[in-house]
Amino acid sequence: MSEFDELLAALRSAVDGRRAPAPAVRHALRHAEDPAVLRRAGRILAALGPADHELRPVRVAVLATCTIGPFEHLLRASLVAAGALPTLALGDYGGFELALAGGAFAGDGDGDGQPDLVACLLDERYFLPRDWDAVDVVALAAHLDARLADLRELVVANLRRSSATIVLHTVPVPAELRETVISWRARAEVGRAWHRLNAGLLGLADEGSRVAVVDLAGELADAPFRARDERLHRFADLPYTDGALLLLARQVARVAQARLGLSRKVLALDLDNTLWGGVVGEVGVPGVQLGGLYPGNCYLDLQRTALRLRQQGVVLVLASKNDAALVDDALTSHPEVLLRPDTFSVRAVNWSAKADNLRHAADRLNLGSQAFVFVDDSPFERGHVASELPDVAVVAADGDPAYLVRSLLEGGWFDVPELTDTDLSRPQLYRSRALRTDFSADFASSDAYLHALRTRVLARPVTPFEVARVAQLAARTNQFNLTGIRFEDGATAAMSTDPNHLVASFAVADRFGDEGIVGAAWIECRGRVWWVLNLVLSCRAFGRGVEFAMAEWIVRRAREAGASAVAGRYLPTARNAVAATFWQRAGFTPSGEDGVFTVVPGDAPTCLPAWITYGDEVMAGHD
Amino acid sequence: MASIDTTVLDTVGEVLNEPVGNLRTRPVLAAYEWDSVASLEVLAQLESRLRVTLDLRTYHGARTLQDLVDLVAAAVAAKATADQR
Repeated sequence: MSEFDELLAALRSAVDGRRAPAPAVRHALRHAEDPAVLRRAGRILAALGPADHELRPVRVAVLATCTIGPFEHLLRASLVAAGALPTLALGDYGGFELALAGGAFAGDGDGDGQPDLVACLLDERYFLPRDWDAVDVVALAAHLDARLADLRELVVANLRRSSATIVLHTVPVPAELRETVISWRARAEVGRAWHRLNAGLLGLADEGSRVAVVDLAGELADAPFRARDERLHRFADLPYTDGALLLLARQVARVAQARLGLSRKVLALDLDNTLWGGVVGEVGVPGVQLGGLYPGNCYLDLQRTALRLRQQGVVLVLASKNDAALVDDALTSHPEVLLRPDTFSVRAVNWSAKADNLRHAADRLNLGSQAFVFVDDSPFERGHVASELPDVAVVAADGDPAYLVRSLLEGGWFDVPELTDTDLSRPQLYRSRALRTDFSADFASSDAYLHALRTRVLARPVTPFEVARVAQLAARTNQFNLTGIRFEDGATAAMSTDPNHLVASFAVADRFGDEGIVGAAWIECRGRVWWVLNLVLSCRAFGRGVEFAMAEWIVRRAREAGASAVAGRYLPTARNAVAATFWQRAGFTPSGEDGVFTVVPGDAPTCLPAWITYGDEVMAGHD
Repeated sequence: MASIDTTVLDTVGEVLNEPVGNLRTRPVLAAYEWDSVASLEVLAQLESRLRVTLDLRTYHGARTLQDLVDLVAAAVAAKATADQR
């Protein structure tokens, strides 16, 4: 079954069960790009009943100067995706002006027939004269001005008679109009007249806070599809393609979202590979990518965008698995950082599960999780937050960082009808409420989520093909690096073929994909005691219990070899505090020698987490 | 991948809210609420699912489901030929 079929099946199931589609389903609906799927979704959702809904009811009148057609389905799907439970009343074909001026619309028997929103679908025929003189562009421009004035009158009349918010939009200049005029000078005149029309449409927002104008022409300029299908325009008076209608529907849904109070107030941001490139714990403060040329400019732009959102009242929260002191240093001392420590109302920098940190942040800010947008590059972290806090809007920050800003902004999560003084003072207000917050260090993610990940660890003696990767891991891993000893290529290769040593590699795969080799251990197995000379684990794999699978594998291997004890050492470095208690949590006990922990293989209870299995050899890192 | 026959029947059935079995036994489109809204919805879905563009004149000439299947199959074949060039 394709992902679209699954989405549609989930919608049918929700409708049949008389319940709201789950947040994850609405999230998928929000991100579906194929208008044909959204049309089908909208038709299914027409039967969504009003009972037991966490969705916010909204009555929308749709008035059009052309055929409404699929806009109905696309709008309904977009509204449900935004968290609304829509009741749509469609205006009669040809009845646009009468309905808009009258302020009363066909109801469905629910309430007084007064809509909350009037969505207007406009096309060029409303503004153009039936016929026009190609050598008299001045007359054409005057006609456009007159039609705009007519529309303004209708809008004003509606505002007097109705309490609804009216949503209008700009209209793309028809190519036919532009190309019919053959002189460049006159063509420029036509373009100018049309742009003046669109500027006038945008200016209708000045008629009051209950008028919202979407810049559809601007949106279409950035879209990868045609705005028009001439066949459907000629045949059915459908001026726009499904793609264009979906674009408009999603903008209308954003207006509804803001009107219904469904917009978000908090932006929770990951740090490494989100607000800067690289892992600060590995590359150090000077080594992160920020500013300058690509890709550093992408991360800087994201910081700049977050700062602009903050200027408009969005509360910023930092949610990072890192050492707090190191992050403080980076935020304070890196010359390119724009988001300095005091721009965050809450800083949750620790090794706790991010879902827990967001919960605590919500408590501190006295807001619900539905106020949060969470941005992170890790599918694991996003999946965990989505599983634990389904109301949180989750934005992916992985892939090419060039798309970071677009990914954050395209959802329109923070839209408000108008900025208020409260909005503008909110970040500082919340900052003084929460100030710096350090949450308890705790490595747990919820068991249910970790089970659902189906994590597989492939552990085995390193092969000649893996020596370079394992040595690279030793060189780059600073945080979960138990002794700080970095065995280079030569030493690792020599140990890997020496009968008195064992070098093991550990690869991980889960339902998000194959991460390849993320951990390694260098072990001296001379005599009866196996010494773990070092063990490293990439920070990508923290918090999932992979480190315990590594320990369990080593102890089991030692037992099979007849060893009487396994010993490991923890030598503190500037950055490996996260691993300080690892040996004890893996079932080892202090030996009496400083920093050395031991276990008797036969006596050790297994420390393999219940959600991890040892995998087969098909994972990429071990090919 | 579903056959053209199956795709057309599934699409028409979904839009008209009719079981595919009914469509097979009563294949004349006029027997259902085959109005301009339904026919354009089917057109949009078929064009999207099969990545083809149908000629509206031929499309509106379709009287039965088999007519629809045939014209869609012809469009798919024409596209495949064009793609090979």
